[in-house]
Amino acid sequence: MSYQETRTGASIFSGILVFAAYCLYAFNPTRMAALPAGDLKPWATTMLIFIAIGIGVAIVTQILFHILFSIFLAARSKIENEQSDDKDIKRAIDREMVEDERDRQIELKSMRIGFIVAGVGFVSALLAVVFGYSPVVMLNIFYLSFMAGSLLEGAGQLFYYRRGA
Amino acid sequence: MPKKFEISNNIRRLRFFANEMTQQDLAEKVGVSRQTIIAIESGKYSPSLELAFRIADVFGVGIGEVFQCELKSE
Repeated sequence: MSYQETRTGASIFSGILVFAAYCLYAFNPTRMAALPAGDLKPWATTMLIFIAIGIGVAIVTQILFHILFSIFLAARSKIENEQSDDKDIKRAIDREMVEDERDRQIELKSMRIGFIVAGVGFVSALLAVVFGYSPVVMLNIFYLSFMAGSLLEGAGQLFYYRRGA
Repeated sequence: MPKKFEISNNIRRLRFFANEMTQQDLAEKVGVSRQTIIAIESGKYSPSLELAFRIADVFGVGIGEVFQCELKSE
């Protein structure tokens, strides 16, 4: 697996963690029972907190991934050639972490998947209100569709890396 | 309806005649990742015109000698 693919995998992993954490926390029956019906404020607050958590987790995951991947490449470089010095190791790392036009094309293509999912979520949220569901449902559909869009964007990237862009 | 074209390439052959140049060497010379060269060689990715010219330049041949375009029968 290439650097870009593994990095995408790490992003998906952190996205799933935040998604699962939100679902477990926000849809906890005890919490939901305690909330005043139709009040959007606690939901909006929770979502804002989880957006901040999501950004934090994504940054930490990427930093950890970068460090671990560099260690892996350095170890591999040493195993392949015991005489390799720091310069060789740095060169091996730089070689592996190149981002080129194919990566950008794949990113754009998969971003389109993310936008489609978010767009479908937006329409579904509006439809939910039209069909008489509470604004809380609408807000959750908004939020979850953006999260799902981000996850599917990552899955799309992996798909394009495997199948070809 | 526009006709469908299939782009093939001779990169593997050209690498062989260029002293068995590795995919990594070619990737470094044209400024892309080895995965991109693998994808181009296997026909999974069509490079930009600029990258196609850079690849041709590495081998010192014309772009038509590296990439061929065939009309696909439908």
